[in-house]
Formats: sequence, structure tokens, C-alpha cells
Amino acid sequence: MKKLIVISGLLLLPTLALAQEAEVRLDSAPVRNEPVQLQSGARTFVNYCLSCHGAQSMRFNRLRDLGLSEQEIQANLIFTGAKVGDTMKVAMNAKEGKQFFGVAPPDLSVIARARGADWLYTYLRTFYRDPSRPTGWNNIVFPNVGMPHVLYTLQGEQVIKQAKPIARPEAAKEEAAEEKGEHSPQKLVFEITKPGSMTPIEYDIAVADLVGFLVYMGEPAAAERHTVGYFVLFALFILSLVFFALKQQFWKDVH
Amino acid sequence: MSDDKKMNPGRRNLIVLAAATGGAAGLTTAVPFALSMEPSEAAKAAGAPVEADISQLQPGQKMTVAWRGQPVWIVRRTPEMLAELPKLDDQLADPKSLRDPDTFTPPYARNENRSIKPEYLVVVGICTHLGCSPVDEFAVQPEPFDPSWQGGFYCPCHGSTYDLAGRVYRNKPAPDNLKVPKYMFLSDTRIVIGKDEKGEA
Amino acid sequence: MSRIISGLTALQGWIDARFPFTSQWKAHASEYYAPKNFNFWYYFGALSGLVLVNQLVTGIFLTMHYKPDALLAFASVEYIMRDVPWGWLIRYMHSTGASLFFVCIYLHMFRGLLYGSYRKPRELVWILGMAIFLCLMGEAFFGYLLPWGQMSYWGAQVIINLFDALPIIGHDLSIWIRGDYVVSDATLNRFFAFHVIAIPLLLLGLVSAHILALHEVGSNNPDGIEIKKNKDPVTHLPLDGIPFHPYYTVKDSFGAMVFLLIFAIIVFFGPEMGGYFLEANNFVPADSLKTPPEISPVWYFTPYYSILRSITTDYMWIIRAAVLVMAIAIFWSVKTNWIRWGTLGIAIVLALLSWVLDPKVWGVGLMGTSTMIFFLMPWLDRSAVKSIRYKGPNYKFAITVWVIAFLILGYLGTKPVSDVRTLVGQFCTTLYFAFFFAMPWYTRADKCKPEPERVTWK
Repeated sequence: MKKLIVISGLLLLPTLALAQEAEVRLDSAPVRNEPVQLQSGARTFVNYCLSCHGAQSMRFNRLRDLGLSEQEIQANLIFTGAKVGDTMKVAMNAKEGKQFFGVAPPDLSVIARARGADWLYTYLRTFYRDPSRPTGWNNIVFPNVGMPHVLYTLQGEQVIKQAKPIARPEAAKEEAAEEKGEHSPQKLVFEITKPGSMTPIEYDIAVADLVGFLVYMGEPAAAERHTVGYFVLFALFILSLVFFALKQQFWKDVH
Repeated sequence: MSDDKKMNPGRRNLIVLAAATGGAAGLTTAVPFALSMEPSEAAKAAGAPVEADISQLQPGQKMTVAWRGQPVWIVRRTPEMLAELPKLDDQLADPKSLRDPDTFTPPYARNENRSIKPEYLVVVGICTHLGCSPVDEFAVQPEPFDPSWQGGFYCPCHGSTYDLAGRVYRNKPAPDNLKVPKYMFLSDTRIVIGKDEKGEA
Repeated sequence: MSRIISGLTALQGWIDARFPFTSQWKAHASEYYAPKNFNFWYYFGALSGLVLVNQLVTGIFLTMHYKPDALLAFASVEYIMRDVPWGWLIRYMHSTGASLFFVCIYLHMFRGLLYGSYRKPRELVWILGMAIFLCLMGEAFFGYLLPWGQMSYWGAQVIINLFDALPIIGHDLSIWIRGDYVVSDATLNRFFAFHVIAIPLLLLGLVSAHILALHEVGSNNPDGIEIKKNKDPVTHLPLDGIPFHPYYTVKDSFGAMVFLLIFAIIVFFGPEMGGYFLEANNFVPADSLKTPPEISPVWYFTPYYSILRSITTDYMWIIRAAVLVMAIAIFWSVKTNWIRWGTLGIAIVLALLSWVLDPKVWGVGLMGTSTMIFFLMPWLDRSAVKSIRYKGPNYKFAITVWVIAFLILGYLGTKPVSDVRTLVGQFCTTLYFAFFFAMPWYTRADKCKPEPERVTWK
């Protein structure tokens, strides 16, 4: 009986391992959830993103979570006439956005939950100069994206130089994967043609902080969720013990 | 049926313990649900203080500002209007605004004019009877509801009348003077309603 | 103290003179005798009831803030997550509960398959249960549109288009369902009505009927023997029975605590469940102009989705072969004339339809059949015994293969199509249906073991 299960299972399993999707391999986002990093990410966000994108579900005064007071938020992070209790509405008109960029820039409230931190981190670091595009920019992770490289003053301008020289046995497989159209940032060499105000490491950190902020903004209640969760689990554990004892008490008669 | 009428104490204790802990857990779980019905952040943001620009307000004029979904009137009173106020005291139900002052009259409005600056009256334009919004009757002339009318407000729903300090007349359905909200002057031309030095309403 | 007790007793008497309070309490709890050998599989009925209560309560509180309008829905969910005090908790309890509802129901149904709970005299309990299952699938489908994300929108589009596939009436039917030519605000509003009122009322009625039907005949048990056959000569109570209250109220309360522990771990530490309970793509607002590159239904629908995708032009030959085999088998086994002629007629009709109707229509039909075929279990199972414990190797082998096929179909449904996956899916689809269609024969031929007289604990 058990043999049958094992054999039939084993016979069918190998078929499932076939055909993985050819995708861009994403860099792992080194997000840190400390208040200082999140504040830095918030600053980058309101300075660079909020003119075209909105975050309509996010209220400015929620940023008190990051250790800021309402006055600090109002003074440093609100550039429009908005009040601190207002939501981060987009400055740009949706129709105009579609005209300028081909598609209205999406709202970023839950972008981190939709795309994931790794995708966002890789995306923001793999813009490169492409004269064939209307904006002059293209992107490895999101080919032919309508968004220009907003952070170029920080990162500088880069182009794709060449695929990394490969001196390993897996070379043949990787070249075959390249032919299928798979480009992963780990395999490409970027060259900075015009430096920005940040070194590559500084830029990576700034993007990591921005992505960390986007992750926070995707679910501001996450920290509270964990805290309450520990209490609830503890309480339910105690309750399980109590009810187990109660069950045993009654069921003594039966066994 | 069971034949152990006398339950052993161990069993009874466990039942009590389980009922108590289970009940406590149940009540604790109910708390977030009940709290979810409290005003949300959106409602609270909509209830935030509102600024009013009074630079264009002429003497004898009234402007209306929306605060927490209610009309707040700012009336720029003339010297004649102010002079008339003390003479009305014996026709009023509560001329000194002594009734329930914490609700209706903040400390800086506990004076004859019921305001910070005599010239500007700031009141919530909702009748203290059943919630209608009274109409302006600033002209000093005989009215059907009062042959010796000296100017103020008239509530059309049930006939309550208020003077130009928002004080209610005697023998009218409304029990209280018009509420003076928390407010303060940010400058000579800007008033913020819903907030004063002590904080927000 | 004794005054309080005599006061309460008097109140009870007053109520009992006007309402069957104590009599019903006795009939369904304190004097409802259930078998004493219920095992792990028997928790899931009560747990399903607990999850139902969870969905109803969290659902009511969500409805206080949710806006069933295409322009407002997505933002209103985020409003609940951020601006409503404890809104995030209520939302996660509802989404986790939805998935765990299906876990409990599938395990609850599987218990039925293991122990023959669908056999006479419990056919109606089973049929009512299957009706609850269908309502639950509908409830989940309608509810899933409400967040108005990309998966919500396109999932609804695809499922409603299934109705479009039906011949002749399909097109008008799908417009009537949508209330529009495409999935739109009209669709959202009516799905909200179905999800919040229509189906919950139906569910409450069916669950009550399900329990009443069960209590009328008494519960089955892992040994599949009837405890009412061995009664105490003096009390006339089943020797192997124990009163539901306090024994099973207490045991189910413990089960509930353990379940809630698992529930809480998910709600507080993993509500997205790797994208299976809350899908990443559903955090993108619905866009009627852009289909996501991969649509798959929520995990609990994936087995049936796999079956739908398996029905291709090539597979039609399997269907024709199956119709032929079934017709021959029925002819060989059944000697009654009208059944034989009926079978011949149906076989000819099906064979014709297999050329006239697209594989697309057959896909829809077979997907529907794959959920509805459970209804026939009481009449497909011809074993001499109820419980798998005493059935022969045929049934044990068949159900093992079926479970593996079901799980593989479920897994395949989460992945995009490929040639290999389609072949595997087609193979498993055949196994899935073979479990049911061949059952009358392999269960009748099964070499069963003798059932015990009294219940056992294994």
C-alpha cells in the first residue's frame, strides 16, 4: 500500500520539474527597517517620485511611524499645500500623464506588494541610456518602460557595455539562455558615462532605503501586526493547554 | 443521563478555568472589532482644523466656513451691534453664558461679546434645539416673531431666536446659546477654527 | 445563589412552555449520541462551522467600510488596511479564513470518502453537503472580485466567459450575468449583493439542513458500522455512543484552539502565504485593457482549472474512448432493457457532441462535472462495507491514485501552460474521472474484510 503511494508519486514527480520560465534574475534588496533608513527613503520618495506618481492610500501623518512629528513631516516632506492629515495625492493629471508617458504613472501605495522589493531594487538600478526610446532611457527589468530615469542626477548616466566575460563550465548553458533573450543584471557590465552626485555604493544604499520605504508604505501596519501576533500566539498557546486538560478530564471516562 | 450529580472538584475547576480564559479571549477579540467602528483616520483628517481668511469681511457682514461638516459663522459686528448687546440681557435665557460652559463657551469667550476680539463673533451656526441652521436677521426692525427685534438670528424650524453674540432668547425651544468652537487668531486676517492654544477640538 | 438558580430554572420553564428550547438542546447536544471513536478527520466539520462564523463576523465589519464601486473599491480596501482602526486585522482574518475554509472543507469531504459517510442512510446529508460546497465555491468566486485587483477582474472575466462557451444561450447568458458587455461596475455591485447577502443566507439554511439531516440518522464513524445496532437493553442508548455535549463540545473546543493557533500564525506572520492566499498581482488595480501575463485562479480552484485546460482537440479521443468503454461496461453489467437503451442513446449523443461541440465547451462541461460528480458517490460505491478500514485493495489503490492526481492537478493549475504540463494534466484528468466512473465495478469486485461488531480505536 505504502509502496504504491511512493512509486506512483515518484513516477509522476519528475515531470513537474520541467520548463522553468526564462526571466531576469533579480538582485536581492538589502532593505533595513531602521527609522533613519526609512526616513531617508521617505525623503527620496517625496522629492523624486511624488510629482508624477501618487500614493493615494498613504496619509502624510502616518509617517509618524518613522519617528517623525507632524511638524517635521509638514516642514520637510510636504511641498504642496497639503495638510499633514491629507493623503499623498498625485500632482500630475492622469490624462496628461498618459499623454506624456504613454500610460498614466501608477499609484505607488502598494507597489511593493505587487512587484516585490527585489524587483523594485533591481529596476531602479538598471536604467541605461537608449537613444531609440522617446525618453532616452530603457530598463533591464522593465524593457521599454515609459518612465525616464528620474534618479539619474544621483546615479549618473550608464550604458550597457557588454556581457561579463565568462570563464566557467556553465558558459555554454548561459550563452544559450542569453540567446533566449534572458539578460540578468548579474551578467551585464554597465559603464557610467556621466557620473551622478553619488558613488555606486551610495546610490545602491539610497535605492535600498527608498525600496525599504516603499515596502513600509505597502503595509504600514506590518510592525504592529507582528507585535500583536506574539501576544495572540502566546495567549492561544495557553488556551490550547487549558482546553487540552479539559478535554482529557472528560474523556477519561470514555477510554 | 449522567449519574454523577456530584462533579469531582478537579473537573469543575477546569471548566471554570476554561470558561474564564476562553471568555477573556473572546472579549479581547471583540475589542478590535468594536474599535474599528470608531472614526477612521479619514474621518479624523476631515475633522481637522480649518483656516478662514477674514480680510475681506466688512462690518455688519457674515461669512460661513465648513468645519466638521457644520457651518461656522464669522460675523464682523459694528459698534452699534456691540453697544446693543448688554441691553438685551433680561430678555435672554443665559446672558452670562453660565450654562454648561465647557461645551458651549470656551474660556476666552466667557465675556459679554462671547468672543476673543469684540469685533468678530465666531459661532457654530447650528440651533441648540434640534439642529437646524438659523437664518440671518441682522436688520433692526419689527419682526413677526419679535416686534422689538434688535437684530440676530432666527431659527425657522421651531422659532428660537439668538442675539448677535449667539445668546438664546428666553421662552424659546432652544435651551442653550450657540456654541463657540475652539478658535484662535493666527494673524489679524486669519482665524483657525477647531484649534486653540490648548490644542485641537 | 440558590435563588438565582431557581430563578433561572423558572425562566427555563417559562421558555420551554413556549419554545422547544430544552427539548432541542437535548436532541442535538446533551442527548445526541455520537460514536465514541471519532478521530482527527472528524474535527473539520465543526472547524468549518467556526470558519463560517469568522467569515460572517469579519465580513460584516468589512462591509461597514468597503465601497462596492469600480472607481472606489480598490482604494477602500487599502483604506480598511490603513485608516480604519484594526482594519488590517479584520481584512487578514477574512482573507485567511477564506482559504482555510477550503482546507477544512476539503479535509471534511475527504473524511466522507474515507469512511463512506455518504452511504445509505446518509445520502441526503452528503447531497446537502455537496450543495454547500457548490455555494461555497460561488461565494469565494463572487468575493474574489470585490477587491477589484487585476486577478479579481481577469479571473471573473475568464470564469464568466465559461458561460459564454455554452452553445446557443451562452452569449446572452454571460451578458445577463455581467449586467454589461464586459466585467464592469454593474458586475461588481451585483457580485457584492450575492457575496454579502444571497449566498450567506443560502449557506446558513443549507448548513442547518445538513446538520438536521445528520442528526436524523446519526453520525457515521471511522469503522463505518452503525452504532444504533448495539443498544443497551435497559437505557436503549447506543453502547458505542457518547452524548455530543459535553464530550464533543469539549473536544471540538480544544480542536478549535489548535486551529486558531495555526490561523493566527498565518494572519499575523504570513497572511500572503507566499502569494497563494493574497496574490501579488491583485495589489495592482483592475485594468480592463491589460491582461496580466499569467492568470491562475486562487489555489483552491486550481485542480478544476487544470482539468479545464486539459481538454484539447487531442483529448477528445480519450473522451470518445471513455464513452465507448463505459457503454460496453454498462451493457455487460446491467441486464435491464431501458437502462441499456438509455445508455446507447446517451453514448451516441455524446459521441456526436464530441464532434459538434468545441473542446472548449467540453472543457467547461468536464470542469463542471469534476465538481458535481461527488454528488453521485452514494450510488457509485458498491462496496460491501462503508469504511476504507475494511475495504479491499481496489478502493485503497484507487483513492491513493486519485489523491495524487488531485494534488498534481492542483499544482499544475498554478503554473502556465506547457506541452509537458498539458500531457501530465491530461493523464491526471483521466485518472481523476476514472476514480468515479469505474467505481461501481472495482468496488463491487473488491475483497472486503469483515466489519467488527463494535467500534474500534485505531
